[in-house]
Amino acid sequence: MTNETSLKILRDFLLERTEIPAEKITPEASLEELGIDSLTQLELLFEFEEKLNISLPDVDERPKTIGELISVVEKYLSENPSAN
Amino acid sequence: MRRVAVTGVSIVDPQGGSTQDFFNRILLGQSSITFFQSDEQPKAIAAPALHCTGFSAERTIGKALASGMDRYSQLGVAAVLDAWSAAGLPIDPEQENDRWGVSWGTALGGTHAYEHGLREMWKNGKQRLPPMSVVLGMNNACSSHIAIKLGLGASCMTYSIACASAATAIGEGFNKIKQGEADLMVVGGSDNPLLYGVFRAWEAMRVLSPGNAETSASACRPFDSTRSGLVLGEGAAALILEDWDHAVKRSAPIICELGGFGANCDHQNLVRPDQNGQVKAIHMALTNAGLQPQDIGYINAHGTATLEGDPIEISAIKEVFGSHAPDLPVSATKSSHGHLMGASGAIEAVITVLALSQDALPPTANLTNIDPKCEGVMHIVGQSIKNTSVKGAISNCFAFGGSNAVLAFKGTH
Repeated sequence: MTNETSLKILRDFLLERTEIPAEKITPEASLEELGIDSLTQLELLFEFEEKLNISLPDVDERPKTIGELISVVEKYLSENPSAN
Repeated sequence: MRRVAVTGVSIVDPQGGSTQDFFNRILLGQSSITFFQSDEQPKAIAAPALHCTGFSAERTIGKALASGMDRYSQLGVAAVLDAWSAAGLPIDPEQENDRWGVSWGTALGGTHAYEHGLREMWKNGKQRLPPMSVVLGMNNACSSHIAIKLGLGASCMTYSIACASAATAIGEGFNKIKQGEADLMVVGGSDNPLLYGVFRAWEAMRVLSPGNAETSASACRPFDSTRSGLVLGEGAAALILEDWDHAVKRSAPIICELGGFGANCDHQNLVRPDQNGQVKAIHMALTNAGLQPQDIGYINAHGTATLEGDPIEISAIKEVFGSHAPDLPVSATKSSHGHLMGASGAIEAVITVLALSQDALPPTANLTNIDPKCEGVMHIVGQSIKNTSVKGAISNCFAFGGSNAVLAFKGTH
């Protein structure tokens, strides 16, 4: 599992469901500026869970960027190496 | 006294064309009903239905909006955006108006979302559902999407009253303007009954008309002695209602006037229509509109093509209109577009508005042998009647549960 794989899952989801241009989907991009609201973030986490067959824990602080959202997944995978 | 103008209308054409394309087929008595088949188990569905195969949510409302909506909301928002544009109103993300609102009708709402969720769990072994499930399935999702998209702050109401849902939503929107609580109301309805559980439920009531690939187009035959029941349909239609002065001030295209609304309850039986209740509702709409029975030149009947319902409606019309009834043009356009459940009052209201404004009264398709029990009015058969300069027209909706809703429109001739 690499950062690129997570980014691809996220990018595929957004390209399928939204009209956000592909070039704007970068780790630094602000979720708010891209129009990704809290409900869409929940859908994204659900997508990660479905694609990777994992169960992500609730997060204390909501991610603000694409990179922070991906790091929620990355952190879980690094702490649970058997999950992947 | 405030008057209510209709300044924009739209119907989702099941074939993917425009509202006018759809209305043109209605005028020709051409049915849009096709043979609907799904391979769902344990028993596949194969029946006549109005299926919006030409509808593309992505093309009409965009991918971003569509991905967050159940189909009934996609259909509804598509109809509203088209009616909004027809009324000459701009779509501005910064726009907001606390004197504008939405009043929407749906009988089934997001039933599809829940049925899909159950199927995923019980059939496909999923243990949980996507986070969007609640907001896809809630029955006020469509009206909320409309309010958010157009910045409507006056109200965001949803009416779920079986077959009278949209007619009631239109009437309540009309009341909001009449009472001075709003200057503009987006009204209409949308529904998606082409679902496995819904189909099977209606089938169990033994009121669905049978048909195959060859006969589906003529499966719905209101008032005909060979009628064999109703045909389910999905779809949406919308109207823009405005305070008359508000419409004139912004030079809006006034199509006609919504003059009156009559609504009541039979309080008799869950499914059997009641002539007395229908008579009272029609009288209420006429009185509310300041119209006399002889002012009415067209009735878009509820006419579902059930054995029991059609003669009762004709009897009610004869009681209200008396000696005028034999000369009063009546048609049931469900013969062409099926029964859109909670959206039926919207599609039929728009057809009534277009009939008035274009001076062309649509026929009941598939009507060749009028049932003697349904005689006594001027049934429009074959093609449309033109150049009648109709002063007023009504649209009837009579729902399971005993709720009646009648809308009375006035032409601008």
